[in-house]
Amino acid sequence: MILVIAEHREGKLTSSSKELVVFAQRAGRDLGLPVQALVLGSAGVDLETLETAKIERIITIDDTRLNAYDPDAWVQAVKAVADQRNPDLIVAGHTTQGMDFMPRLAVALRRPLVPGCVDYAKIGDQLVLTRQVFNAKMNLKVAPKAEGTCLATLVPGSFPGDEMETGGTPEKEVVQVDLAKIPVRRRSLGLSKASKGNVDLASASVIVAGGRGLKQKENFSLISELADALGGAVGASRPVVDAEWLPREYQIGSSGQTVSPKLYVAVGISGAIQHLVGMQNARCIVAINKDPEAPIFKVAHYGIVDDLFKVVPALTKLVRDLRG
Amino acid sequence: MFNSIPGTPQSNSRKISGVKIFSCIKPVVDPSARFAINESKTWIKTQDATFVASEADNYALEEALRLREKHNGEAVAISLGGEEAAKVLRAGLAMGADRAIQLSDTKLRGATEFNIAEALARAIEKDGGADLVLTGVQSDDLGTGATGVMLAEFLGWSHATVAIAISANPESKTLQVERELEGGVIERVELTLPSVVTVQYGANQPRYASLKGIMAAKKKPFVVWSANDLGLTASDSMLEVKELVVPEKKSRVEILSGTPEESVTLLVEKLRKEAKVL
Repeated sequence: MILVIAEHREGKLTSSSKELVVFAQRAGRDLGLPVQALVLGSAGVDLETLETAKIERIITIDDTRLNAYDPDAWVQAVKAVADQRNPDLIVAGHTTQGMDFMPRLAVALRRPLVPGCVDYAKIGDQLVLTRQVFNAKMNLKVAPKAEGTCLATLVPGSFPGDEMETGGTPEKEVVQVDLAKIPVRRRSLGLSKASKGNVDLASASVIVAGGRGLKQKENFSLISELADALGGAVGASRPVVDAEWLPREYQIGSSGQTVSPKLYVAVGISGAIQHLVGMQNARCIVAINKDPEAPIFKVAHYGIVDDLFKVVPALTKLVRDLRG
Repeated sequence: MFNSIPGTPQSNSRKISGVKIFSCIKPVVDPSARFAINESKTWIKTQDATFVASEADNYALEEALRLREKHNGEAVAISLGGEEAAKVLRAGLAMGADRAIQLSDTKLRGATEFNIAEALARAIEKDGGADLVLTGVQSDDLGTGATGVMLAEFLGWSHATVAIAISANPESKTLQVERELEGGVIERVELTLPSVVTVQYGANQPRYASLKGIMAAKKKPFVVWSANDLGLTASDSMLEVKELVVPEKKSRVEILSGTPEESVTLLVEKLRKEAKVL
């Protein structure tokens, strides 16, 4: 059995939960394993997506300790289910929540964890998982050595959530787990949204974003000049913001803003996965980078492999000339 | 905590003067280097490679040094590996760590996150425990951020991941942490010490080692422990590495070549006529 740990936020299942189901449906079919979904703290969560999914069962556990996310409660709840049913695979999202409890769970179960999976294959009877390593520059294919439960986290965007098979009528099961004895040693003091200031990149139709390849703060004017010429907004990758060349609100990526402009020009950005998830849905992506191996070229439509300090001024000049 | 006896098990009644903080540093092959896959296709070639501290671990060490400066106590740098680990530990001492522990044994080679976390936990227990262990949010090689969280479970401590701000209250044995979640959401949590916290890139500005620091580092305590010292046998990975591969390019990219003037002219034409976005 493949056990999917569905993630939810503000009463809704996250998009990564749907992707987990798609992965589990496909791997389950190849390996001949049924799929069950586990929802922790399900009270008030809209489970409609799962209720129509072609899966065997939806398991819910509710307890006051599951009202807000707490890794200790999450680990104990999943462990209780796993101890009882010995799933072949437990899969959660490779998200800040999934990666907050799955490693603990792996140790608690003394079972292997394959974090950061992007794909799988069935080789013989064996499940081989592909995980990203070296900042997504390489993939490592691994398989559990022995029978028994294996754990994995799945990188968001690796499987298409909209291809989930529906038309199923999963059984519903409510499981009781005694979580009262778990000591409270982590208290959430609340969530807040980092200020976006006046920078609303989400509504910009053209974005020119700069990365570490610009080498120093002063060179960022190349980006703003090109953005000006194109009538677009300026964005940045994480290293630029970390180096304080630009304030945090300009950051595009998993920990910054998610954007989908008509045109996205990535300059000197290598394209770490955290950046790609924030911009890969742009309609047209242009990458300018001197490293032909940079992962940004995998999501780009047009690429120029050259020195940005020569290319960008030439592009700015050309666009200005054309626009008079 | 300075006078704790190595090997004494951690207890909550531990008398401390200031805080004792471990900073875990992973040596990785310099990410700016060009990688080549080894003969058995199981990992990159590491022979003759330059090793550096995994970038995020520098933020963890800086956070450890700041907390020690604020609350007194000590910051201990710990790393697993051979000469590459010794190198990053010496750099950590030069930055300001008080002493270093190297876990070095051929039996610990090829360790996964699980094995590394177990070895670190054994070593921290052997050293008498601590109030706080800091690691980088993820490493530049395996890159998944699992080790710190696994370490917390091996130690039986609380933990928090992706920290961008940490403040300690040693009197009440608590720690306040700001965590960075997806979409720019910040979660504030309070942890009961002892804890393991993984520190996000950019949480601070790591200091550079001064010449004075580099000289002082040579006189700081530096111990090397083997697998035997930690009561560990060979690290037995539960996973078998099948193959390390360069991901297939499912890319749709059209590379525009020529001089800068030629390539941008071609680009603008494509953007206007093909993509119709200009």
